[in-house]
Amino acid sequence: MPQSERSQPKGFLFDVRVLELADERGEFCGKLLAGAGAEVVKVEPPGGNRTRAIGPFYEDIDNPERSLHFWHYNFGKRGITLDITKPEGQRVLKELAPRFDVVLETYAPGYLAGLGLGYEDLKALNPGVIMASITPFGQTGPWRDWKATDLVHLALGGVMMNCGYDPMPDGEYDTPPIAPQMWHASHIVGNYTYMSIVAALLFREQSGIGQHLDASIHHAVNTCTEMDIPYFTYNRKALLRQTGRHAGAAIGTNPQALTKDGRLVWCSGGLGGTPAPVIEMLDKHGMADDLTDPKYKEPEHFRSPAGVRHISAVTKRWVQSRKWDADLWKEGQRYGQHWAPIRKPEENADDPHWLERKTFTQVRHEEIGRTLTYNGAPWLSETTPWRTGPRAPHLGEHTDQVLGQELGIPQARLDELRRQNVI
Amino acid sequence: MPFAIENVRITDLTWLLAGAGGPRMLASLGAEDIRVEWKDRLDVLRHGNPTIPIGKERERVFNGETVMPEAESVNQGGHFAGINAGKRGISLNLRTPKGKELFKEIVRISDIVVECFTAPTMKRLELDYDVLRKINPSLIYIQQPGFGKKGHYVDYVSTGPVAQAISGLSEQSGLPDPYPPAGWGYSYMDWSGAYYCGMAMLSALYYRARTGQGQYMDCSQAEPAIYMTGTAVLDYMANGRRYQRTGNRSPYVPAAPHGAYRCQGTDRWIAIAVSNDDEWRALAGVLGDPGWTKEDRFKTMASRLARQDDLDGLMNDATQAWDPWELTEKLQAAGVAAGACQTAEERMFRDPQLKHRGFQTMLNNSFVGEWQVKDFPVKLSESPAYVGGTLDRGFPCYGEDNDYVYGTLLGMPKSDQEALAEEEVI
Repeated sequence: MPQSERSQPKGFLFDVRVLELADERGEFCGKLLAGAGAEVVKVEPPGGNRTRAIGPFYEDIDNPERSLHFWHYNFGKRGITLDITKPEGQRVLKELAPRFDVVLETYAPGYLAGLGLGYEDLKALNPGVIMASITPFGQTGPWRDWKATDLVHLALGGVMMNCGYDPMPDGEYDTPPIAPQMWHASHIVGNYTYMSIVAALLFREQSGIGQHLDASIHHAVNTCTEMDIPYFTYNRKALLRQTGRHAGAAIGTNPQALTKDGRLVWCSGGLGGTPAPVIEMLDKHGMADDLTDPKYKEPEHFRSPAGVRHISAVTKRWVQSRKWDADLWKEGQRYGQHWAPIRKPEENADDPHWLERKTFTQVRHEEIGRTLTYNGAPWLSETTPWRTGPRAPHLGEHTDQVLGQELGIPQARLDELRRQNVI
Repeated sequence: MPFAIENVRITDLTWLLAGAGGPRMLASLGAEDIRVEWKDRLDVLRHGNPTIPIGKERERVFNGETVMPEAESVNQGGHFAGINAGKRGISLNLRTPKGKELFKEIVRISDIVVECFTAPTMKRLELDYDVLRKINPSLIYIQQPGFGKKGHYVDYVSTGPVAQAISGLSEQSGLPDPYPPAGWGYSYMDWSGAYYCGMAMLSALYYRARTGQGQYMDCSQAEPAIYMTGTAVLDYMANGRRYQRTGNRSPYVPAAPHGAYRCQGTDRWIAIAVSNDDEWRALAGVLGDPGWTKEDRFKTMASRLARQDDLDGLMNDATQAWDPWELTEKLQAAGVAAGACQTAEERMFRDPQLKHRGFQTMLNNSFVGEWQVKDFPVKLSESPAYVGGTLDRGFPCYGEDNDYVYGTLLGMPKSDQEALAEEEVI
């Protein structure tokens, strides 16, 4: 290794090699592993992974090389093509797999085993291998073969019954439960699977033993709701979903406050539970109304439903008198309140706080001659950086590099594999 | 069977869910977690909401009654119980000089210190990373304030909804304008904050196992939320397009019908996602092939996508007579992705898949007795995770493990412990 490379700070998983055979259910986990420094090689069928067909697309042109979904979720990986449904492709995978610490896969339960590529098969070739299988419901169980999508997972996972809009005054809901889509079922299982993979790597450090990880999206999503299970466990009480805020045992006031220019600010109190700081703030702006009345220092008054409603209404009047700008929410924060602007995702990209933390990163796409701002690291470490590149692989971009230069398959065999449409 | 990381010890100064959830993940994987608390500033979740019923009230809950008891003790926090299962708990007053010294003794024999105070707190206590690394050079120190330690917002506070609001996650969820965002009906970023805290700790442990080096990590609750806004940022950067909410309609994969449709019963719904024409025909068959499913306007995916308002109205009419589970079973048997919008009750007591996987397990706490806690959702074949951890125990009562930590680990005689308790140090 050249001196210059050796002095580069390494990522957390700098010597971990991951082979990824994953669709939209597992690509996020692979992205996390790559981000943390692992070398991730993505295996796609010669026609391309189906996630290349998920939008949005660059300049709205539906093309396997233009899926922004694929760009985002495969950032920092290398990519090869290999048809593992063909015997010759299975042979190549068996030659390749022993070079990897982790195999991450999202095929249906039993599918890879049916091709002779299951955990037991790979373990025979590489006893320390850690195979992580992400499936909709798990490797076994009565729903093992059920079909699901992000939406269906958020329904069966209980997320939807927590999310939505206020009922009508008679208590009936005239709007359906809402799924906060955009692949959060995959995010949740990806986070758990990442933790399990790194724990398995640590276990292997100590014991030399690899293992199989059975991750169920359904199970993972079900663990990711907050108060509904505790309320039902301890009180046998269901919660009511409410517009833009926590589902609760009763309908409460809405902290979403509208600004003069029609945007929203999240205006929730401090953890201490007293409204004194927000009253002081409103008073400073001459907008405290009658909240300076000493009775608002009494918990039985400010905690009463009428008191809570009135404080919220007065606060909202002040918010409504202002434009949605950078400072409105900060004023609340200065008074210890849990205030935040309800932003669109891209509105964070020029916030000086995130710029200083390098939360976003610039990624070069030489094929379109542009450098684009991507979401970067989820945390900061001065010693151990998060990966900042390269862009997602083009289809088969690293096939020759990985199978030829690294695995040592001679050019003649690569040509033959290509002729047979195996790679 | 062994746990994955039995040799790891964590000094845990966290609270709420975003903070305390991460070390719980590691306790489930086998780490020894020592939760450090002081009675004057307890985790608000210790005070109930919901409160764990005990004695007669517990029996009433098992008889199907709804009881909302007042907490008699700080050991009855129902939400706290789930988040802190498998941890040890000690009392320690970090504002006293003796308390600081004891804290340093615990850090000396720990692998990780994790905290989620506002950014400057540990510096003020003179117990920040620069102090602690001198005591334990390979220490991993994870700090997780709302907005991180570096940057302009270090003094700002965050809970789940704050992180969700600023990141764009709230804005992305809900019916299209002019509806306001529905956001998340719970603190998704509390759980996700916990995941990223857990991921940070494990990543740093691996790095240390391979290099011998500990480190300081500046984590936050808000940054992982931004990490998950995914393609929306890229779509804006590449195409200049701002994210528009689509309700329950599929944002980027062509699919119609795609939504939550009303079923028989009060507030019952089923989610159905039809991604191709075969599934569309299968859906029509299950619904009894009503005439409208044969009409040309719904024949192809493109035509269904173009008429989703009509389609959703007709779907709602058709599903209303169905029991959500009967329809779920029939649609799944026909090869259509569908599932009832499950209630908490169904997830706890009905869902056969969750039962099969061990969604919940009974854990004991010395004050409230045995109650169910959600278990770790990934099955590790050789080092299974378990929410009761190596202790096989529920959440710790306040100060429950003082004797283990101060006596067994630090070798302090019982009489000294009693004296320190008298002095309000432990």
